[in-house]
Amino acid sequence: MPTITIFKDDLESLLTGGDGIDRGIPMAQLEEWLMLVKGELKGHNPETGELRIELQDSNRPDLWCCEGIARQIRIKQQGRLKPYAFFAKTPKSPHHLIVKPGMEQVRPYVAACTAKGYRVTEKGLAQLIQTQEKLADIFGRKRKTVSIGIYQLRNITFPVTYELVKPDEVRFTPLGMETAMTLSEILMVHPKGLEYGPILAVQSLLPILRDAKAQPLSFPPIINSREIGEVRVGDDELFVEVTGTDLRMVILSLNIFAANLADRGATIEPVEVRYPTSTVLGTRVTTPQDFGKPVTIQMKAIEQALGQELGEAMVKQALEAYGYDVSAEKGSVKAKLPPYRHDLMHTMDVVEDVAMSRGYAEFTPVMPAQFTVGGLSAIEQLSDRSRELMVGLGFQEIISNILGSPDQYCRAMRLEGTEWGRTVEVNNVMSLSFSCLRQWMLPSLLRIEAASSRAFYPHRLFEAGDVAIPDGTHELGSRTETMIGALIAHATTHFSEIHSCLDVLCYYLGKDYSLEPVQHPSFLEGRAGRILVSGKPVGVIGEVHPEVLERWQISMPVVAFDLNLSQLIGLG
Amino acid sequence: MDISALIDSLHPLEIKVLTTLGLRPSETALGSEQLAGAAELEASQLSMAVEWLLAKSLITVQTETVTPIVSLTKIGEEYHQTTSPIERVLEVAREATSTGKRLTIPDLQSQGGLDPSDVSKAVGRLKKEGVVLIIQGGCIETTGRPSPTAEALRTLLGDMHDSPKELKSFTEAHRQIIEDFAVKRGNAKEPFRVDERVARSFMLSPDGAGAAAQLLTQGVAEEVSQLTPDLLKDGSWRQTRLRKYTISLRPPRIGTGKKHPYREFLDTVKTKLVSMGFQEMRGALVETEFWDMDALFMPQFHPARDIHDVYFIKEPSHTTAVDEPFLSRVAKVHENGAETGSTGWGYSFDVHRAKRLVLRSQGTAVSARTLAASPQIPGKYFSIARCFRYDQVDATHATDFFQVEGIVLGEDINFRTLLGLLNLFAREVAQAKEVKFLPAYFPFTEPSVEMHVRHPRLGWMELGGAGLFRSEVTLPLGVTVPVIAWGLGLDRMAMVALGIHDIRELFTDNLELIRTTRGLF
Repeated sequence: MPTITIFKDDLESLLTGGDGIDRGIPMAQLEEWLMLVKGELKGHNPETGELRIELQDSNRPDLWCCEGIARQIRIKQQGRLKPYAFFAKTPKSPHHLIVKPGMEQVRPYVAACTAKGYRVTEKGLAQLIQTQEKLADIFGRKRKTVSIGIYQLRNITFPVTYELVKPDEVRFTPLGMETAMTLSEILMVHPKGLEYGPILAVQSLLPILRDAKAQPLSFPPIINSREIGEVRVGDDELFVEVTGTDLRMVILSLNIFAANLADRGATIEPVEVRYPTSTVLGTRVTTPQDFGKPVTIQMKAIEQALGQELGEAMVKQALEAYGYDVSAEKGSVKAKLPPYRHDLMHTMDVVEDVAMSRGYAEFTPVMPAQFTVGGLSAIEQLSDRSRELMVGLGFQEIISNILGSPDQYCRAMRLEGTEWGRTVEVNNVMSLSFSCLRQWMLPSLLRIEAASSRAFYPHRLFEAGDVAIPDGTHELGSRTETMIGALIAHATTHFSEIHSCLDVLCYYLGKDYSLEPVQHPSFLEGRAGRILVSGKPVGVIGEVHPEVLERWQISMPVVAFDLNLSQLIGLG
Repeated sequence: MDISALIDSLHPLEIKVLTTLGLRPSETALGSEQLAGAAELEASQLSMAVEWLLAKSLITVQTETVTPIVSLTKIGEEYHQTTSPIERVLEVAREATSTGKRLTIPDLQSQGGLDPSDVSKAVGRLKKEGVVLIIQGGCIETTGRPSPTAEALRTLLGDMHDSPKELKSFTEAHRQIIEDFAVKRGNAKEPFRVDERVARSFMLSPDGAGAAAQLLTQGVAEEVSQLTPDLLKDGSWRQTRLRKYTISLRPPRIGTGKKHPYREFLDTVKTKLVSMGFQEMRGALVETEFWDMDALFMPQFHPARDIHDVYFIKEPSHTTAVDEPFLSRVAKVHENGAETGSTGWGYSFDVHRAKRLVLRSQGTAVSARTLAASPQIPGKYFSIARCFRYDQVDATHATDFFQVEGIVLGEDINFRTLLGLLNLFAREVAQAKEVKFLPAYFPFTEPSVEMHVRHPRLGWMELGGAGLFRSEVTLPLGVTVPVIAWGLGLDRMAMVALGIHDIRELFTDNLELIRTTRGLF
């Protein structure tokens, strides 16, 4: 779902692990590789090497960055993921991050690590910032569940504490400002405070990250300190933290960052987070952490879903080449996702990875063989027959939006405040032109007539389509019905001309109809009728009222009918 | 040239013109009016006959003179009946000067009942003629001198009130006034219009002279242009000469009854789908969030469910009830996967949210309802559903559009039969032999596929997306067999086939465009 910008040479150097850079991977090759990450190339600037890539999978935040895309391709080429050391072993004397009581009410979880030995380049920095933004924005639901901070490590003295303070207790200079501000000032003045402040439901106590010297690192999830929390090109020691409301999402986000920095050559050192009370992962949680568990999948389930016998060895090979940790057993495989992924909800998610790893082209299409009878619904059949007849009567079919304006559907039709003037209205209106559903067809036809006075006459128009009729007795508050409307416009048209057309239409549809006079504000009095079939009203016909024509700025006489096909079904 | 064949094909009006010219000494040229008089034709008849004869090269244009003709416009007639702005300004200004009242430009507008632009033009002109002065404070005073312009206008309005006149019949001074007050591009509000009248004179060409000579010597046979019932009834058609027509002329244009080109395209798709064994489904324009999204395993926090993506209904905002057991089953699946073998999304499902009413945002809602309504197994279903998206309307985004989508249920459904079905669509709907399958993501299918095809005339294009419905979708709705969900993106194909580049033109209000667009699918 996110679209990211990366640079081709950056991707190429990540693909080869930094050395022996293979420049000039053909674009066709690149596009094929992008299938592995459900990526679509949206743009390519051959001069700057800039690539714009849309990543479709909203459950794979690890792929929303240059490092993640390169990693998935690299694993496929190398046949398996080279394990990250920092996930495997816990350091003997790690740095500590202490969570003080009370955080569980506000923003309970935090994860952090350090990264040393990677000197931040210009493009690397742009990628760090982009990953941080995309993760917090889309995966972290606009920082609500996850937000990320990156700092210069050398200015931080451990242990770091994560705690609550009073809004005016602490001051620091936030990014983008020149002077120190209290947390409440940041919420009131800083653009990020205004944007993300509402995430903090309680504002009497606010979260802060501070180091052992009580220097503020940041006010999560709002803004970093300018002194410590501004990473620049050339920095080679970083501190990364993630805060949020879901422990696994928080750790996963950190895992992704740690893997990305490791891929760029950094050495990752985990941080031990100490909680005042136990979490699902205990009171002492070392991060990054591989918290995933292997799942056992029956071969039968995989092969049935893919429609092909593959065998344990082939499935193992395919999954390993997609980053999984796999052991094959008889009739099943035990598979574990790599630590930067947490998107396995169902066996089928693994099945898709098998198919993608092997490539969709490896699967021969087979036609579904079971016999089924095709057909159209009764209303579509009636609608099609009516359309054929209208064409035979010399009418041009038109097609219109259903979402329109009260002005079009009611006011211009003189229907405001009448039984005919009720429509289904939209609550979150973007534009008044698209704010309610049509309740009958005539306005759609007049729309064309009003715009087509230069097209040669006579005009004979019709449209068959859906309308929505408000109905308090219906569970959806309205009924969707199919109607057909027809209009004739020329200098000498009159009631009986359109009446003849209705007559022919009803005759061939086998519907015995009658007309009774009706006072309908859209039509001339004495020249309008309600169409009745078996005594039931199913439409209106008449000469369109001159005031309606004036409101549409039409200067040609118009006669028309509107017939409700849905209500016609099953009647005489 | 075969003169006899030519003569047979002549229209009576053409014969009159030819013989009229043929009776004159050779190489005589006659002007339109003389010719019409001599041939006893109406001006319109003459003009038709002349055009036909010119097309057949039987006459030629000998001279062509252009005469400017001046006439009054509607506004000119009004000025003639009442008064022109310059006269009105003068009148008001003279009265103010004689009574010693201060008169400003805005006063002129209100007292004279005139437009600001008319006032400023009139005052400018009068000032130039020395008829008025603008004194301190922007006040206007008359000098007592007469205005040549106002006087000339009055004379000219009277002169031309009865009939248009040739421009050259006026004096130099009057011609200048006419020029200044004539309708021009960008200024239609003037009393005079100058049109160019083209006067031509005609003479016989050598072929025309031959035809005329023959017509004059042999006389004109009794001809009939229309075969009538009477001629048939009494058999007199045998003694009648029916004039031959010039059939190479373009016919007059007629209006016709016709399907809309885009609907015609959708009809062919519909016919294809039915012929492949698909049953049509229908659904409502207004849908609950439950059927539009929850039942499709889209979590309630999904970005596409935002207030900026879906239209919500004002009244009623929520449905009274969503059918059980579907609501509670789907809620559980979202929360923890229930018995579907899934972990679920792990959040607490909001039942009230599920009842919220929206404008259907995806056709898949129709499929979800079908799954819950005991569909046939094996079964194939499709719908062509109108959907609504909260998008700014532009050349590629419509707020209101058709989605063609459906489902296939059966024991034999799997990833390969999914690809097989897509191949069939590629062949039947896009006549494509070359197909590419790409991995894709939809919240409700796994695995998911995107299909690109090469249309024989229109080139490579994305034809649609599909996948196997997740168990989290099918099981809570009571379906235990695998199900393909598919959707075809046909708008682009329709647009290319119809030769349009803006999606809004699919629903255009331009009747001329609808009448003339041909779809070649």
